[in-house]
Amino acid sequence: MSENKYDDHINAVLSECPNADREEVREAFAKYESEFYIPPQDALRSIIRRFKGDIAPSSGASSSSNQKSTVSKKVASLTELSDTDKDIEIEVEIISHNLREQTIRGEQKQIAFGLLEDNPWDEGAQRTRWEYKDWGPNSNISPGTVVRIEGASVNEYQGKRSLNINQSTRIAVLREGTRPVVTPGEPIDINSIPNDGYVCVVGRILSSRPDQIHRKDGSGSLDVVRGRMADESGTIGFLSWEPFDHEVGSLVKIDGAQVRTFRDTPELNFGRTTKVELYHDSNFADAESLMEQNIVTISQLRDGSRDVEAIVQITEWTKRSFVRDGQEKFLWSGQIADPSGKCRMSAWEELPINESDLPVTVKVRGVRVRAWQGIPDITVDKADQVEILESTPWDGSIDLSNHVVEVPLTELVNGSSRVGISTQGVVASVREDCGIIMRCTQCRRVLRDGNCNQHGDDEGNQDVRLRLVIDDGMSTSSLLINKEATLNLLNTTEEKIKAEIDSDGQIEFVQRLRGKLLGRLVIASGRTIVDEQGAMILADKTELVEQDPGLISTEIRAQWGVQ
Amino acid sequence: MQSSRSIKRQSAWHMLASEFGESTLNEKGSGEFDPSFVITKLGSKVNRVIVAGLLERLEPRDTANGSVLYQGQIRDPSGVHYFSVGDYASDSMRELTLQLSPKVEGGEPILLLMVAKTRLFQTEEGAIYTSLRPEEACEIDSNRYATWLTKTCQDTLERMKIFTDSLDIEPTIEALTKGNVASHMVEGLVSSRNHYGEIDLEHYNLNIMQALDIAEGKIEAASAPPQQQIVSVSEDDGGDNPDGSDELGDILLDIIKKLDQGEGVDFETLITNASARGFSRSVAEEKIESLSDEGSIHEPAFGWFRIVS
Repeated sequence: MSENKYDDHINAVLSECPNADREEVREAFAKYESEFYIPPQDALRSIIRRFKGDIAPSSGASSSSNQKSTVSKKVASLTELSDTDKDIEIEVEIISHNLREQTIRGEQKQIAFGLLEDNPWDEGAQRTRWEYKDWGPNSNISPGTVVRIEGASVNEYQGKRSLNINQSTRIAVLREGTRPVVTPGEPIDINSIPNDGYVCVVGRILSSRPDQIHRKDGSGSLDVVRGRMADESGTIGFLSWEPFDHEVGSLVKIDGAQVRTFRDTPELNFGRTTKVELYHDSNFADAESLMEQNIVTISQLRDGSRDVEAIVQITEWTKRSFVRDGQEKFLWSGQIADPSGKCRMSAWEELPINESDLPVTVKVRGVRVRAWQGIPDITVDKADQVEILESTPWDGSIDLSNHVVEVPLTELVNGSSRVGISTQGVVASVREDCGIIMRCTQCRRVLRDGNCNQHGDDEGNQDVRLRLVIDDGMSTSSLLINKEATLNLLNTTEEKIKAEIDSDGQIEFVQRLRGKLLGRLVIASGRTIVDEQGAMILADKTELVEQDPGLISTEIRAQWGVQ
Repeated sequence: MQSSRSIKRQSAWHMLASEFGESTLNEKGSGEFDPSFVITKLGSKVNRVIVAGLLERLEPRDTANGSVLYQGQIRDPSGVHYFSVGDYASDSMRELTLQLSPKVEGGEPILLLMVAKTRLFQTEEGAIYTSLRPEEACEIDSNRYATWLTKTCQDTLERMKIFTDSLDIEPTIEALTKGNVASHMVEGLVSSRNHYGEIDLEHYNLNIMQALDIAEGKIEAASAPPQQQIVSVSEDDGGDNPDGSDELGDILLDIIKKLDQGEGVDFETLITNASARGFSRSVAEEKIESLSDEGSIHEPAFGWFRIVS
């Protein structure tokens, strides 16, 4: 055990308590470690407190004049703090944590910086977000953790406040983080880039073009560079605010790129502190093969994506006209599909496609993706973004207009909205508003007491639907079953349902439905809408799975060796 | 990040009464609308379960504030779930309770399946009990009960495997995640391993075998003597006892204290409860004998034990 192993910590104590005896401080650290198994970084704050306490009364007024005795200020929210507050105690959630080498007084030091938010326990509450600098840096700070910070101070610079976490500050972890921890300088796969924070990636430049961003206030424009880069795991768009002259095809390492997410699509931002350097790895995939994987399937389309490449089959295509600014304009749109699913496509220029040729397979390049009601819509701005292919790269015999893809429930719930899917789960809830509903005659919203929240009183059109929740033990989704599928599932008619509810009441009707459905495994096909509210499956076909428990039981015994 | 803020519906776990009933740990975030969870020994972190079994009891009870609370219990091959239906339940759930209660009292056998919220509470003496608050329920036939049993066995076996596989890994979120432990189990395993310490899985295996027998229609196995009631004993903060015998003595006394309805507690129940806590039959038998010898317990009728007061 080396004699000076506590030196850094002792210096930290002495800087706070200049009158303390070096040897005594050393002994204190040794005692904490050997007798109480408290490592020096955890003991630091207690020791400082002790030596401050020791000194203050004995040294009297003379020393307190140059060393202000501080009282810990305990606050619940950042807004309670003023510019000069020191020795603050507050509980916060760490949003991001980034390590950085910095030269301080001629010495290379590692410090950390990032964002934190107050009110960490109150999920829905208004939270204030501040930047912080961690001079420790403390090893127990990581994104997603909730910590109590004891002994931080406010730093005010040009009217902006941030929190300084000093070497003597104690960090108590109250809840461990669940966010991925990103080590700086350690490249991560492009497909595992989080939705925010700073990352390091190694990738090949697939495209790069100068662009301009016009300031909204009209005060000029900024030159930027936009492009895409890729590694074997995926591709991502980037936006460089600094000059960026690496050629298409070059392999670069980018450290300290900031991830920003537009709609559902993350994008890398390169700024002043981002380090971009050429990277050498002869085994790294070449541009050509990366370009190929840049081609996405319909299931991978995300709202807000740009520069998308895909091969899809157009199954329906119609021309619409509308009048804007007194001029007639045209828009072509229709259904597209690939083996992963279905969605829509729109074009602002005419494509050489006749309705009689359908289905037509095309390759689209450089297109953007918008989503409407959760359904992705590929937007084609120029006809030359579309190339008509002779044949499909997949088995051409698949009839994509009726093609349904089976997707596990958890994958659906955690993905983006999709069309043409089928999934299964156990019915975990039969909602009390199943059965007959009235829909607004103008917008099809469900009426409440004959009232549409958009169009007011309305006599309504009668409709039938089921509203269930299905569950696979990990994820849940609402399941809305349309009239036709409901009548098929229950083997009944609209009139019979109406008569049953009229004679027995809604509660009894729903209870009978539960008797039929609760706990049953159901397969549903249709489309999904996934948003902040969770996932919703709109089903046009459902069936209950008939199970043979004896058979399943035998399988379980075989699988697990239970005899 | 915004998406993690919105409150998502918690999944319902298929679970046997033994796994749920032995839980003594719960967790709740501090926010008003944070879900609460019960953490089982296997590391299931459950807010909602889907359970089934024979409805054994469903009785009204007057509460202090004048409302009526229905208390009930349903039995599956592994034990009993306790549940209550009060004013907070939905109209449809209360309506169903009113219909079922006289049927149960009349001795009509009812297989019930329910989706319920989990709850854990502690009495003033420190005993910890689990209970359920059904959200939706329905009567089912034996085929659906059997199907529920198979699904529940499958899920329980999977959890047991995940639990056993994770034992070599340090119980922290980082280590378990790195060790590719199924993500829905990670948080529960960390809490469970830190709270329960070492646990014995053998009785879960027995429960599963019996459940599968029933699912296969082997009624003779299914109609074997009913499982003994298993109560939860609050965790002792006492130190580790190498041979565990004094701990066992305390546990046995505690079980008798809790289960004694006046005529004592029968031998088999004591053995089952002790084995549920990892003590073998022979060790437990010996301990019962020695407790009897030292005069801590007495045997008013053959095979029935009471605490000497």
